Amino acid sequence: MKKDLHPLFYPRSAAVLGAGADPERVGFNIFESIVYGGFKGPLYPIHPKLKNILGYDVYPSLDKVPGPVDVAVIALNQFSTVDVLEECARCGVKGILSIAGGFGEVGTEGVKLENKLAERANELGIPLIGPNTLGFINDDGNFYATFYPLRLIKGGVSVISQSGGMGLTIMQKALDEMMGMNKWIGVGNRAALEFSDYLAYLGDDPATRVIGVFMEGSEDALKFVKLIREICLKKPVVVFKAGQTKESDYMAMTHTGSLAGPYRLYRDILKQNGAIVVDTVEELVACCKALSLSQLPEGKRVGVLTHTAGPSIVAADYMLQLGCELPKYAPETYQRVRDVIGQNPPVVLKNPLDAAGLGFPALTYGRIADAVLGDPSMDIMMAIYCLHKNWRFPSREIIDVRNKWNKPAVAYYVSTVGDSAIDREMLQKEGVPLYISAREAARAVYALYEYKQILSSQAQ
Amino acid sequence: MSTSKYFPARLNDKRRRCSKAQVKEILDKIKSDGRKLLFEDEVKRLLALNGIAVTPCEVAHNEDQAVQLAAKFGYPSVLKVRSVFYTHKSDCGGVKLNLPDENGVRMAFREIRAAVAEQEPEACITVQPMAGAGTEVIIGVTTDNHFGKVIMFGLGGVFTEIFEDVTFRLIPITRKDAFEMLESVKGSMLLEGYRGKPPADRESLVEALLKVSKLVEDNEEIKELDLNPVVVYENGLLVLDGRGTLS
Repeated sequence: MKKDLHPLFYPRSAAVLGAGADPERVGFNIFESIVYGGFKGPLYPIHPKLKNILGYDVYPSLDKVPGPVDVAVIALNQFSTVDVLEECARCGVKGILSIAGGFGEVGTEGVKLENKLAERANELGIPLIGPNTLGFINDDGNFYATFYPLRLIKGGVSVISQSGGMGLTIMQKALDEMMGMNKWIGVGNRAALEFSDYLAYLGDDPATRVIGVFMEGSEDALKFVKLIREICLKKPVVVFKAGQTKESDYMAMTHTGSLAGPYRLYRDILKQNGAIVVDTVEELVACCKALSLSQLPEGKRVGVLTHTAGPSIVAADYMLQLGCELPKYAPETYQRVRDVIGQNPPVVLKNPLDAAGLGFPALTYGRIADAVLGDPSMDIMMAIYCLHKNWRFPSREIIDVRNKWNKPAVAYYVSTVGDSAIDREMLQKEGVPLYISAREAARAVYALYEYKQILSSQAQ
Repeated sequence: MSTSKYFPARLNDKRRRCSKAQVKEILDKIKSDGRKLLFEDEVKRLLALNGIAVTPCEVAHNEDQAVQLAAKFGYPSVLKVRSVFYTHKSDCGGVKLNLPDENGVRMAFREIRAAVAEQEPEACITVQPMAGAGTEVIIGVTTDNHFGKVIMFGLGGVFTEIFEDVTFRLIPITRKDAFEMLESVKGSMLLEGYRGKPPADRESLVEALLKVSKLVEDNEEIKELDLNPVVVYENGLLVLDGRGTLS
């Protein structure tokens, strides 16, 4: 049965139970985050004694609030969290975020309490996120219900994370990468809502174009991968499954079963069912960014253009390992390159095409890029350039070439995050993802091809 | 009486249609014995009923029966212990390979009985013909806590034991999944033949994976299968050994 999570992610009004005025405490931070997140609806802090927090009237209890409450953010301790559920139901609450720890993660008593929490929430028919979570964010609805306040860049990538800390890592990397995000969910202990519930919701969510997942493991795995199989035809699902060592002991099985441990099982089965599987946060963000910005290539043939050999060798090496091809350029392409830079140019006429010193000026770089992406044997271009004090990045030229040939391009600039910020914005606005690491750029190129493959094979 | 090794080309494959009733009968018999463990001959019957080629394998209760069976299947012959106490048959001295003649079979029968005397002195012993050499692979089935029924494929010997070069798919698998399984192990080029070794019959391997997947899909109570080794030839394959458990 599909659970209706819409009122939870797009509340018209919200209350924060346990809101406080002390910046040291979770209760203040989550309230402040919702305020500064720009939530437009009525917002009610609930506290027995306080009168005012950040200019908002405080109410002593949920039933004293003057209007309806769609979402109750519960920042109380674990015992009070369970106690307050009935009141939430009486007040017509449509969704709950439960922040407190002290549940299933702390032993038998905690498990009992968590079961009680989940059972009551399910009986009352109220979807509940958590407990033991940093919260969730819906940038699309300006609802930043997390006690780690930050602002995301608007976009189409939504993330489900089993870990708060890894979820933050993803968001911070996304900010560095200027990857636009839509929703972020810290699933916490998954007492009442499972991975598959969130995945199903994001699969149907029109604002989410790409789904990224960080997971450690879940008893819900079968349902989860079956859903991926359906959703991957509508939007890409990128999964980072943690725990590659065999120490994880959930699978005390026979010889056959315990051979490779759960990681390989997850990896293979996720791929079988249409997920793009990655091994690091960097790769997760690299893939999600490319998939949310770029058109897909027709195939896996990559034309690489550079003016510096090393980075192109490293990127090419990684792309080849992943499964890309770097075919030879057509003879006409070499002729076109000679037309640009002379009949006997001091460049290496092969793929990667190293324009060396002649590639420094952006205009020349652009004319060579035109030959590279125009080559009929190339499906996608990786354009490499090094940051320089006096020479500008060829971003405009890369965009023009991409537009002219209507084939995807990925830019890899050897640069700092800050020095490439203006160009990152310019390129990504036009659908060309920019990276400053060879591995990430290469992974992104392959992810675009992988998703093209998923669409054609899963559709059969 | 022949003295050449057994190959799948000699298998008199009448393209028997899988009889669900016969499969059920075998599984019910095991359950009524109060057993979880499937013996090699039982696994092989299940496989054969599903169109997977196996070396014929029958149970001998005494030495003379073993000799008769060996003669029926042809030499060289193979004897293995059939006991719930010795599931890792070769570790306890319960497997005797490449027995050239009646004398060899009689000796082997006595040696195996002696080796298992402590736990099961009257243990049954299976008899089968010695198969020819080819590319060894492993096909497995496990029931994972998170995913449920999963099929595994790996290359035999050190590739699986040491390098753990294996791949998994959720059951049921498609033909495309089966092909990808062959390609996604690092040693997959071994199947293409190397240093004069002929290429392995990949199509028959794909068929076997699909049939194992179907067998398990149709019979929920099969918890685990370990077909090891499966030998793949230029034409066809043979399952040489197998065991399994019921849930």
